[in-house]
Amino acid sequence: MFAKILVGLDGSAAAQHALEQALDMAQLTHGVVTVLSVEEKLPAYAATVGEMEDEQAFKGEYFRKIHDQARRLAAAKGVPLQTQTVSGHAADQLVRTAREGGHTLLVIGHTGHSRLHNLFLGSTADRVVEHAPCPVLVTRQQAGGSS
Amino acid sequence: MPGRGANRVDNIWLVAAAWMGLALAASLVSIQLGISVALIEILVGVLAGNFLGLHSTGWVDFLATFGSGLLTFLAGAEIDPEALRRHKRPALAIGAVSCLLPFAGAFAFAFWAAHWELHAALIAGVALSTTSVAVVYAVMVETGLNRTELGKLILAACFVTDFGTVLLLGILFARFDAWMLLFLAITVLVLWNLPQLLRLVIARLGHRVSEPEIKFLFLVLFGLGGLAKLAQSEAVLPAYLVGLAVAGVFLRDRVLMDRMRTIAFSLLTPFYFLKAGLYVSLPAVASGAGLIAALLLVKMVAKGVGVWPVAGAFGLARRDNAYTTLLMSTGLTFGTISALFGLDNHIINQAQYTILVTTVIGSAVVPTLIAQRYFTPTVPSVDGAPAGEYRLPKRRATDR
Repeated sequence: MFAKILVGLDGSAAAQHALEQALDMAQLTHGVVTVLSVEEKLPAYAATVGEMEDEQAFKGEYFRKIHDQARRLAAAKGVPLQTQTVSGHAADQLVRTAREGGHTLLVIGHTGHSRLHNLFLGSTADRVVEHAPCPVLVTRQQAGGSS
Repeated sequence: MPGRGANRVDNIWLVAAAWMGLALAASLVSIQLGISVALIEILVGVLAGNFLGLHSTGWVDFLATFGSGLLTFLAGAEIDPEALRRHKRPALAIGAVSCLLPFAGAFAFAFWAAHWELHAALIAGVALSTTSVAVVYAVMVETGLNRTELGKLILAACFVTDFGTVLLLGILFARFDAWMLLFLAITVLVLWNLPQLLRLVIARLGHRVSEPEIKFLFLVLFGLGGLAKLAQSEAVLPAYLVGLAVAGVFLRDRVLMDRMRTIAFSLLTPFYFLKAGLYVSLPAVASGAGLIAALLLVKMVAKGVGVWPVAGAFGLARRDNAYTTLLMSTGLTFGTISALFGLDNHIINQAQYTILVTTVIGSAVVPTLIAQRYFTPTVPSVDGAPAGEYRLPKRRATDR
């Protein structure tokens, strides 16, 4: 159980905490962790293809750095780790990747948007929980730092 | 002797600071909202023109014109020659009808239904004939479709449509005399030799601090643009052709592409897009709302009538076809360039310009939203496996 764990990583503290939880879980289950980063907020209605390419390159470089950190962390815990970067909406891509990759657990961090934001847009966590094809673990950092 | 108020208006540094401040604000909003900086700059220009009384000046006009030329050049240089070659037949067919039918439809509607003058109606046709490669590319990146053969076909067809628009703008208002012959002869000569010349300049002098290769390209753009103006054509035509000619060089030299983009987006295109928004009159938007909606509908229907059957004939599945048709209905950069050309040359008035630019902005947003909401093709997401299949045309023995 939980042999293929998918975790969303966007560079936030909440996502980093989710990654640590996923790695701990994988240590127990001898599982494999896949880190998925989603390039959100690419410029809509762009004027040139270059605008998109430059923004993608900027985000790609950012995700390369946090994936390197994730690999180091996974290596220290002895957990096999794969990384993927895709474009689109975070919730959609997490659900789609979980479904197509046959993942058995999806781990995401709770970032805590404002009530107004959640009222109109809903949180990524809400949408993932509603549509995911597998169990979802939503981690929340407590004030002291643990979940 | 001018008063202090006049001094402030004439103070080139203060005027530049005002424009750059607006451009910076647009960048910040764009990053925050995830919407193209070009679109935000147009909207900021609209607000500045209507509420802050911002005006253009001679040097702003030059920077804006240079910006639109460089945008056009980059649009040509961003083409993937290999994808265009591979999808030549369907791309030419879809791209041509995608340009000509909306041109005819918008022209006819503006001329007979809205009773615009002939040349103003032609500008309407050109401005609404466009397809925004960039808008299409942005949507396809979000869905992963840009990695599929269908995506590459759509992009190639968009380039063909853009070329048609630029060609229409370049020839419809031109004077066919000795200047035109000279312009055509020199353009053909330059384009024929440009890729080799640029490679030579890069190999011998490239990537120095004085940037000779960029100055060489600017020299070509200014020279051909000047000749185009002498023939009463439009400088964007040679700019697009120069971009197409050097696309292969740019594909291999990403440093050169990055530097050209930096120059364009930091200094030049903000002036162009802000100026494009500056002349949009909000009262004219309100009074012309019905005409704006009608022209948008005409553009989308004409694109549909043209693209749907042709794309279907090349084997696109129904859902992919609807998606393709809607994305081909988008437009932004060349639509605003065409409208501003009409305004700058007194072919259309400010009210007509307002209607056209607002319709163009609507065409960037409305078809995209419908396509994404109802017709996004199912694409395997992660590893780029092809989806949205269509029948590749069989290669003939004569195809190279």
